[in-house]
Amino acid sequence: MKVLVAIKQVAALDEDFEITADGRDVDPDFLVTDLNEWDDYSLEEAVKIKEAAGSDVEVVAVSVGAESVDEALRKCLAKGADRAIRVWDDALAGSDSVAIARVLAAVAKKENPDLLFAGVQSSDQSFASTGIATSAFLRWPHAAVVTKLDYSPGAKSAVIRRELEGGAFQEVEIQCPAVLTIQLGINVPRYASLRSIKQAAAKPIEVLSLADIGVQPGEVGEAGSLSRVRRMYIPEKGRAEMLPGNLAEQSARLAAIIKEFKGVAP
Amino acid sequence: MFDSASITRVLFEDFRPWAVRLFYLFGYSAIAVFLYGVYVQVRKYRRGTKASLEGGLWGRFGWMIESLLSQRTVTRRDRSAGAAHGLIFYGFVLLFLGTATITLEYDILEPLFGIRFWHGEFYLWFSLVLDVAGIALISGLLYMMVRRGWIKPPKLDYARPDRQPTDPDYDRSNYRREDWAFLWTLIVIAVTGFALEAARLVWLQSRPDVWDYRWWSPVGAALAELFQALGLSAAGGGALRTGLWWFHGLLALVFIALIPFTKVKHILTAMASMAARDPLAAQRLPRVPESQTTPGYQYITDFTWRHLLNLDACTKCGRCHEACPARAVGAPLSPRDVILSLREFANHALAYGRLPDKAQLDVHGKSPGQVAMETLWSCRTCMACVEICPVAIEHVPIIVQLRRKLVEEGEMDPLLQKTLQTIHKTGNSFGESKRKRAAWTKALPFPVKDARKEPVDLLWFVGDYASFDPRNQRVTQTFATLLHEAGVDFGILYEAESNAGNDIRRVGEEGLYEALATANVGALSGAKFNSIVTTDPHSYNTIRNEYPDFGGRYAIEHYTTVIQRLLESGALTASRKLGYRVTFHDPCHLGRFNKGYDAPRTILRLLGCELVEMGRCRDNSFCCGAGGGRIWIPDPVGAEKPAQNRIREAAAIGGLQVYVVSCPKDLTMFEDALKTTGNEGKFVVRELIELLREAVDAKAAVPAPVAVA
Repeated sequence: MKVLVAIKQVAALDEDFEITADGRDVDPDFLVTDLNEWDDYSLEEAVKIKEAAGSDVEVVAVSVGAESVDEALRKCLAKGADRAIRVWDDALAGSDSVAIARVLAAVAKKENPDLLFAGVQSSDQSFASTGIATSAFLRWPHAAVVTKLDYSPGAKSAVIRRELEGGAFQEVEIQCPAVLTIQLGINVPRYASLRSIKQAAAKPIEVLSLADIGVQPGEVGEAGSLSRVRRMYIPEKGRAEMLPGNLAEQSARLAAIIKEFKGVAP
Repeated sequence: MFDSASITRVLFEDFRPWAVRLFYLFGYSAIAVFLYGVYVQVRKYRRGTKASLEGGLWGRFGWMIESLLSQRTVTRRDRSAGAAHGLIFYGFVLLFLGTATITLEYDILEPLFGIRFWHGEFYLWFSLVLDVAGIALISGLLYMMVRRGWIKPPKLDYARPDRQPTDPDYDRSNYRREDWAFLWTLIVIAVTGFALEAARLVWLQSRPDVWDYRWWSPVGAALAELFQALGLSAAGGGALRTGLWWFHGLLALVFIALIPFTKVKHILTAMASMAARDPLAAQRLPRVPESQTTPGYQYITDFTWRHLLNLDACTKCGRCHEACPARAVGAPLSPRDVILSLREFANHALAYGRLPDKAQLDVHGKSPGQVAMETLWSCRTCMACVEICPVAIEHVPIIVQLRRKLVEEGEMDPLLQKTLQTIHKTGNSFGESKRKRAAWTKALPFPVKDARKEPVDLLWFVGDYASFDPRNQRVTQTFATLLHEAGVDFGILYEAESNAGNDIRRVGEEGLYEALATANVGALSGAKFNSIVTTDPHSYNTIRNEYPDFGGRYAIEHYTTVIQRLLESGALTASRKLGYRVTFHDPCHLGRFNKGYDAPRTILRLLGCELVEMGRCRDNSFCCGAGGGRIWIPDPVGAEKPAQNRIREAAAIGGLQVYVVSCPKDLTMFEDALKTTGNEGKFVVRELIELLREAVDAKAAVPAPVAVA
């Protein structure tokens, strides 16, 4: 029995960040990378299934990205994943969530898991669509925002609980294999000590190219995406001014500001 | 006068041969039981792991002998116990040496070589000295009985904070019984020894070569007078002598045989523990050996043999229990009880021929002999226990080793876990971007040199709190300004500096510590400087004592010695005598850890302050409670915090104006405690650097502390 966990290494913004010259992304100098917070929970859920079963459950972590993503995969290996796969090709640059989902679906076809976990969304791009798009490519049952999972390894179905607005929950029976996007709080993710992360370096990370999973370069990148980033910018902040002084002084200043906006001479 | 050879005591006088053989049978049996007991203990220690021995063999033995002869470690903070123990120690040692001397002649030198020396002048002086030794022994024991029975100091009541009254190992009556049995047995042996001496004198009163010299054994002679006054005849004396001889002899032999099985073993384990002492015990923690698969201590067999030996050296004196700040505020931690629990565990698991199953060797948990998580997480790693322990037990290193296993399993407070992850990501505990580390320099009217780019004389390792915490940033800026005014050529590492890692290591996250230390050593290696100064005692400790293990050996000072030098050389002048009534809180990592007590006091004197010491000062300074990662762990609601306990101690000083600290965490903790104990407005908390600023510039903008009427 196998659980495939799709993870993403996300970027967090430093203070005082800058936009790149082409105006479409943040300058990487100002980014701090880490494992996506949702993926902590989805990986923990997979490892919990493995530990409860005692045997014969394999947890495989997969991610799409260049070599720096290995850091996040190693963290997953330290936390209990058995294997890690990274897919990269230069053609993948500029992929949106749909193009990524195409790649993940190809990996899933190769790995043949019983469950595929993804986080509800990533904390940097927040499209919240990669997991569900993957299920579309696979034509698998899917459920989003899962906050509780009842599953026996190898079973034909699972019972999940989904979190809705206003505090309501929905209990759903879903046929397996299925894609589930996991919500924060479903469990308490374990701590991976630095030592265990270093020791996980001994476990290999399988690096796959597009050819290895049967995806054409034209199917990914900007060419294979359904959307494209036009520009990224920091909006102009609004202005706020405290008017000091007594009532008469404040009124005079207020009048002056209104005249300024109206373009009338003071 | 008599022939010198006849002035002696005939051994086994009037004994039938079978009686002598019977005695020797008892004697050899007692020694055999003793040796077997020693073997069982040594086998237990050998079931531990390797320990590295620091310092030369002679150095360590020399320290042990010197401590033993001076009784210094047992006299610290308890003069009367030290004096009484000294009497017992010297009394016992002299009596033991006396018996050994007699055995040497009777059993070895005389039968083999025909040498006899125990007679005449030598014999008489020998008798006198041993009588005095016996008096010393009995006096010491009597005081100890009064101490336990009447004085009853709190540290001897054995109440333990890490168990509930309903737990099976809460009750300590068996320890109390053993303590009293020890005292009574020894005192009975000593008293019957004197009685035996007197009985023999009465028995041999008609022999002038005995009777005429009886006052060389003054106590025996005095007792003999008493016995005679009570009507004891020579024949009666002989019978009494025979009875007492066997009683005293057998009791003493039983005592010796049982040494390795009772509290009495401390006479050997204490010496061994002290001879194996690591002088940098809690200051420099050990790395995880390459061969070890899981870090830290999970099973009792993970302990080093030195730590297993430490467990046996404990005599339950209670000094660590008394000194511990966590115990003082009601946390479920007493260093003494950690050691005693583990000792009980080791004796249960390792003292038999076969080792039990691995699962039964796990020391973590709440069963008898195990140590609970909340006990381990209560520790502030302030080293008060290690520093005061008379027999060199390493409580803090043991606790950190146990924590390493907890960290590996992720068993810690969620806030602590989050902080460790934050430090891993950003290199600081505030979660701020690395770029902002030197943001405090922007407010200064002069540039601060970048030590990564140009050589400097003094490299200033600033530290997390001093860089990011707003209150501490003011102190940091003040220090920079003072160095600038004194013309010191200094620089900082800017973004290349990370958390020095001292507290990370003491939390038990050794992997993260290694990453931080390696990063900092790398940054320091890339810079050119003559020496390092730091305003953070925690960074000071780890860079000074632990970075050499990671390839970074630097000359480093805490700012107090640098400032003292600047004041004494005139580079900085205190143009104004402050005249405040102050008290100084010794920071754990500067004072107790690295013996840096004097420089801050010299500075306060040079600034013209009136220093009033708190009761718990210098090596006995009371930790603010932030160490060991506790600043990242929430305190239990409603319980007193160590910082509050300490501020209350200061508040008892009449007319106190300023509570002086020289550590960023102390500043944070005590300013908070000042408010929460309701002492705001009575006195203020100031960093020493801020007082310096006031004195060095008469026109300082720092507001004067509130004077107490």
